[in-house]
Amino acid sequence: MAAVLASALIALCIITSHASCSDPKRVSPNVLRFVTWNPGHPEVWKSIIAEFEKRNPGITVIREFGPSSSTSFHDMLAQKLRNRSPEVDVFFMDVIWVPEFAAAGWADPIDELLPPAEREQFLPGAIAANTCGGRLYGVPLFIDAGMLFYRSDLLRKYGYRPPATWQEMERQGLHIVREEARTGNDICVFSAQFKQYEGLVCVMQEFILGNNGRLFDPETRVPEIQMPAAIEAVRYVREHIIGRLAPRGVLTYQEPESLALFVQGRALFHRNWPYVWEIAGDPRRSRIAGRVGVTYLPRFPGGRSRSTLGGWQLGVSAFSRNRKMALGFIAFLTGAEIQKRFAIEAGRAPSRKELYRDREVLAANPQFKEMKTVFLNASPRPRTPLYPAVSDALQRYFSTALADPDASVEEEAGKAADRIRWIESMMRRSRAQ
Amino acid sequence: MTAATKKTGARGHASEEVRFAALLLAPCLLVALLFAFYPILYSLYLSLGGTILSLPGSERIFMGAENFIELFHDTVARAALAHTLIFVIVSTALEVMLGLGIALVINRSFRGRGVLRAAVLVPWAIPTVVASQMWRFIFNDNYGLLNYVVFGADPSSFQAWLADPAMSFVAIIIADVWKTSSFAALIMLAGLQMIPDELYESALIDGAGAWQRFKSITLPLVRSSLLIALLFRTLDAFRVFDLVFVMTQGGPADATNVLQFYGYRKIFAEGFLGYGSAISVLVFFVSCAVCVFYIRALGMKMFGADE
Amino acid sequence: MSRWKRTAILALAVAAVAAFSLLPFLWFLVTSFKTPLEVTAIPPLIIPSGSFGFYRSAFGRYDLLLYVRNSVVVAGCTTLVTMSVSVFAAYALARLRIRRRGLILGGLLIISMFPQISIAGPIWSILQKIGWLNTVQGLVMPYVTLNLPLAVWVLTNFFGELPKEIEEAARIDGCSHAQILFRIVLPLAAPGVFTAAILIFIYAWNEFFFALLIMTRHRLQTLPVGIALFQGQYTMPWGEIAAASIVATLPLVLVVFLFQKRIVRGLSAGALKG
Repeated sequence: MAAVLASALIALCIITSHASCSDPKRVSPNVLRFVTWNPGHPEVWKSIIAEFEKRNPGITVIREFGPSSSTSFHDMLAQKLRNRSPEVDVFFMDVIWVPEFAAAGWADPIDELLPPAEREQFLPGAIAANTCGGRLYGVPLFIDAGMLFYRSDLLRKYGYRPPATWQEMERQGLHIVREEARTGNDICVFSAQFKQYEGLVCVMQEFILGNNGRLFDPETRVPEIQMPAAIEAVRYVREHIIGRLAPRGVLTYQEPESLALFVQGRALFHRNWPYVWEIAGDPRRSRIAGRVGVTYLPRFPGGRSRSTLGGWQLGVSAFSRNRKMALGFIAFLTGAEIQKRFAIEAGRAPSRKELYRDREVLAANPQFKEMKTVFLNASPRPRTPLYPAVSDALQRYFSTALADPDASVEEEAGKAADRIRWIESMMRRSRAQ
Repeated sequence: MTAATKKTGARGHASEEVRFAALLLAPCLLVALLFAFYPILYSLYLSLGGTILSLPGSERIFMGAENFIELFHDTVARAALAHTLIFVIVSTALEVMLGLGIALVINRSFRGRGVLRAAVLVPWAIPTVVASQMWRFIFNDNYGLLNYVVFGADPSSFQAWLADPAMSFVAIIIADVWKTSSFAALIMLAGLQMIPDELYESALIDGAGAWQRFKSITLPLVRSSLLIALLFRTLDAFRVFDLVFVMTQGGPADATNVLQFYGYRKIFAEGFLGYGSAISVLVFFVSCAVCVFYIRALGMKMFGADE
Repeated sequence: MSRWKRTAILALAVAAVAAFSLLPFLWFLVTSFKTPLEVTAIPPLIIPSGSFGFYRSAFGRYDLLLYVRNSVVVAGCTTLVTMSVSVFAAYALARLRIRRRGLILGGLLIISMFPQISIAGPIWSILQKIGWLNTVQGLVMPYVTLNLPLAVWVLTNFFGELPKEIEEAARIDGCSHAQILFRIVLPLAAPGVFTAAILIFIYAWNEFFFALLIMTRHRLQTLPVGIALFQGQYTMPWGEIAAASIVATLPLVLVVFLFQKRIVRGLSAGALKG
């Protein structure tokens, strides 16, 4: 029996080692391991990495691709870092993970990479998002913020200017949709992401900020979702948008589904991230190419237009054995030259201020000119190391408030606020340890 | 040969047998202890602490019963427990009824019965993730087959099934019933096959109608295999996860959040290993209770049935 | 009831059962051979244009081949290890004198009743401590554990049904227990072992929960995880999901049609003897 067992185990080992053969595991001083997602423009990335290797002879960059959903990517990366795996040198961080990665000791502080003068070159919000306890844990590469995309042809046809408030969007939209329906054009007013997932927090925060409310007070660390301004905004979405301006199906939509509605020409307005601009303008992927406009998100009367800050940062693993090389790689990618290439060739919004004045960048992305103001004013989501738990409570609250007609908004907000207070108390307790 | 030597010979033989048996059983028991029973105890231990995976220092917090008290007050957990129980009861009831119907059909003898039995096995063999994607596509609001079947070719009347809290729960039950009724059918088929044909023949001679034959012969004799199917399905339904993960992610309005999904989110997405373990412990005890209930109902002697 | 009427009812019932079991799956099969435009068409197209585009893109752009390979490795190893552990245990339980046999069988049965979440956290912690996260053995061991009850029960029943006479004759000839097991019982037990192996392979091929937790590295993910996390950047890639699903399911459908009798017997054996 022992023989059989042994041979089974040997077989197991052989297969295992075979499986890891194709994926070189060695931690070598000349190999830089970069954990990234499957890029939308693989050819641009390929050539940029080749450029880095050419300028740094002897260094090989090995990319490991995680899932494209931010939450799944987080779970994968967090698990690697929990394992203290030396197989990670440089990684992408979503803007909401920085406090968590810093508190857990996974991301190494990298202040020396950006001296104060150099820091000035970046959008201040993006730098603030990467700073925890006065130290810098990441360098922003791409910036994201919610924008309002619209059908410029239809707005022009009915003589409207892009709406400044949600109410204005509602009036314009209902009018245009009614008129279009007469000509047999079946279209809805608005499409965005309202599924119970991270994107829902981004979208709802924008509505609440647009009504002069907010999710969380960063000073006192108290949730503010029960304040009248926040409740009012949620109630507006529940009563005016879901099932009225937007089909009820948006309650199951993430970015791809909501974008599909827009690029198929079946939605008049669309809230999404800047990457939409390039897709919506590409006739191979969009039926509305050349008929798209972009502007700030609407606000409520008396409020101000605010977008949720998103984007991707580069961080260095605390368990990397190639720290110096990793810093060089980040400096290379976030430098003006490469960011410019990403902006022109892949349509990604850069984190360096000067590029928003660059003629070539603006020629390729005329929308950036307006976007810069949006990026400058973009608001972060609650900054806490336990963000995933806070977000979970918020997602549950928003989804219930929007999808369940029997739910009381105040009551659900109260439940979520209780949860967030409990999470904060757990954090204080572990800090006290 | 004296009686004494005979005796020692037998004893020697017996001890060789015991040693050999122990050797044969050792790997099996070792694996079971290491990866099943030890984790259960470890879960219990973790549930008394406040470990948060992303907060160094949190593993030193001692919570005692606090996690459980919090869990008791956690409205989300209570809702998830309710969803789980409703899901378990409704889906298993439907599966066993439907399964019995299928079993009665595939128990008949006709040409191509083997092919039909294989066809019945298809939903059982399909990965649950695949079945979930399949039903998610069928329930799609814009081009799902269901909308077309119900409303015809007019997209303006189409329903967003998975956007409605109650409907999305129903959708998950439908997908589960489709996926697992065949398993229940096969268990009951085995029970049906043990009913001798003579019973039916004599009932037929006595002039019993089809319903009467079903009620007085089939049902009593298939009862024990029906209960076994129910037990297996119930325990499995407690573990519902794949369907929720793929089809709804617990939404909308948290209507499809079930215990296993909630525990998964707490531990692995949010890192609350302590609190999540309290959920694990709760799930464990609830399913133990169900188990005991069924075993009582079955009148089975699980332990020592073979002695 | 007249004969033809009964035949008609039976035919109707057969058709209903077949439709219930196969239609949803066939719909996905049809979808996988469509073109992107045909997938979203209303009214839906029943006969696709027979395009292989989605298969090409699933293999080319979504790493389907990688998932298939990982699934083969994981399911294969799980089957191999589970069988080699449980064959011996089952033989001991069926044939040898063991105290507390009922306790052992019952204890194993309890494992099969565990909800995965009740052991997931600890298993993850253990695997992390010994560095087995994102390794084949790290996923295989939990699978082996969860499959042991099924394998041991099916095999114990099977051994119990084998005639004892041959073994007794061998014993009188002076064969040891080990010799009896390897020379006589194992060859006789091959069909039962095969049945259990099929069931375990299908389980390991389909499992999602532990695969999701343990294989976080893209290059090691199995088919169910790959299919669940399929996501496109600007649309839901339904066609590719359908194609990948068909690839993941086809081997199982083949197995089911080839070994239908064995699977039915194996599944019911585990249940009815309890």
